[in-house]
Amino acid sequence: MEKWIVLSAMFLLTILVFVVKRRNGRRHGERAHEHRHSFGHKHGGLISIDYLAYSSKIRHWNPTFKVILSVLTIILCIALNNVYVSIVVILAMAYLVIKVGGLALHDYLSVLAIPLAFILISIFAIVIDFSDQPIGIYHLYLGFGYLYTTMAMLKYGVFLMLKVIAAISGLQLMILTTPSSEVISVMKKAHVPKDFIALMNMIYRYIFILLDVFAKMKNSAESRLGYRDFKTSCYTFGGVASNMLVLSLKKAGAYYDAMEARCYDGELMFLEEDKKVEIRLIVPAAVYVLCLLLLWYLTR
Amino acid sequence: MKKSHKIILSIITLGVLFWGSTPLAQAMHIMEGYLPPKYCIIWGVISLPFLAAGWFSIKKTLAEHRRSITILAIAGAFIFVISSLKIPSVTGSCSHMTGTGLGAILFGASSVSILGFIVLIFQAILLAHGGLTTLGANTFSMAIAGPIVSIGIYKLCQALKVNKYVGIFLAAFIGDLFTYCVTSVQLALAYPSAQGGVAASAIKFLTVFAPTQLPLAIVEGLLTVLIIIALETYATTELTDIGFVKEG
Repeated sequence: MEKWIVLSAMFLLTILVFVVKRRNGRRHGERAHEHRHSFGHKHGGLISIDYLAYSSKIRHWNPTFKVILSVLTIILCIALNNVYVSIVVILAMAYLVIKVGGLALHDYLSVLAIPLAFILISIFAIVIDFSDQPIGIYHLYLGFGYLYTTMAMLKYGVFLMLKVIAAISGLQLMILTTPSSEVISVMKKAHVPKDFIALMNMIYRYIFILLDVFAKMKNSAESRLGYRDFKTSCYTFGGVASNMLVLSLKKAGAYYDAMEARCYDGELMFLEEDKKVEIRLIVPAAVYVLCLLLLWYLTR
Repeated sequence: MKKSHKIILSIITLGVLFWGSTPLAQAMHIMEGYLPPKYCIIWGVISLPFLAAGWFSIKKTLAEHRRSITILAIAGAFIFVISSLKIPSVTGSCSHMTGTGLGAILFGASSVSILGFIVLIFQAILLAHGGLTTLGANTFSMAIAGPIVSIGIYKLCQALKVNKYVGIFLAAFIGDLFTYCVTSVQLALAYPSAQGGVAASAIKFLTVFAPTQLPLAIVEGLLTVLIIIALETYATTELTDIGFVKEG
């Protein structure tokens, strides 16, 4: 059984690497088209997660429910630390987001592949160890000692990778189906301090303003050969970044005036859609959590 | 195979493993699910007093000048955007700054702890970098340890009358390196090596991340200096407002 798990994990990893390669390949392809579509995909990863969340079919579910389900899944994943639980979570979350939420499989995988480099490097550091004796099933002589690995360490690494991917899947349930503004409103309901929520709301909105300003400045710098080599691009980047800060600091006062003109008295109020918690969602969710616990109990 | 061949082969294999497997050089966020629950809680608790200190300092600022809330928010958004932008890199890989060193120099370490915390939440929600359970550990390495070291180095260089730009470079560079070291130690504490314990494991993590993090730290230092130079040239009034340039 464990052999099959390791094999399927390797298969999943291959798919993820393939997705990343294709994404990178596409990026280079578009560069060849003289940045014809550059405006839309410049910070693709960033805009697209929020965009995907807004277009999800399960956006109308109660956000508190989704956030609790997602956080609970993550906590179960890391607390139970069981490979079967991880696999069930990966499949269940993929089903929820892709099948029920109507997200394209490719988009789901490319978000899952974002932390891939970090996962691979850190798993690599865990499965490999050094020693002054040639032990383990594979070892490599380095002059001063041996790099070695054992079957148990490799298995541990693969299981850890599955756990991490499962936890990220749990996080994806939240980020790919719930827009950030709704996540913030959930935090507000959880009685996070008022000023903190106000700061988060404002930062969330300013991020998009700044990105827009940056995209415009970068486009104009690029059309003046501002990124033609490494040294020039460093200067341009520094100039653009500082100019962005100057412009936005200048606007900060104007933003405050605008808010005050609309009767801002220390609290930002937003129109929130009232989304009912449905019993038909809570029951399956409870069953799912119980199943995970049962699975963990049976395979302990 | 001769012994020298073996050595050459080992070196080449290692090189390929290091350089080939790192297409993305990002600031080191520990991703969701990587840390066992015990360490998630420990790092959260360690971060808490710093966050509380930052929170009270922000509260005080807001009580005195309610207007500064938009400046704080802009500063947070700026740190987020700076850390999500692709910066120029030599190898053609895709790398990002941490931005917290710059933030600490411009806005002060106490407010950066809270702003960095918010930025980390948004990085998890909007970029899928980092995560919710690892928020405590990431906050400690990126929003607390890094900025405090940066500001310390910056102040130290000011006191020692080192050239200002050298000081800023060192502050951003060493702050970045320190973040990377703290993250490696955090990882090593959670996953100690079977033979050598935590220390050996820390060395392993430091080694595997070095090829991405060392160039990144140097570029980050250079860019921070360039940004500060440009700001000083064009925006002395704004810098006075946020307290970077003392009036007089």
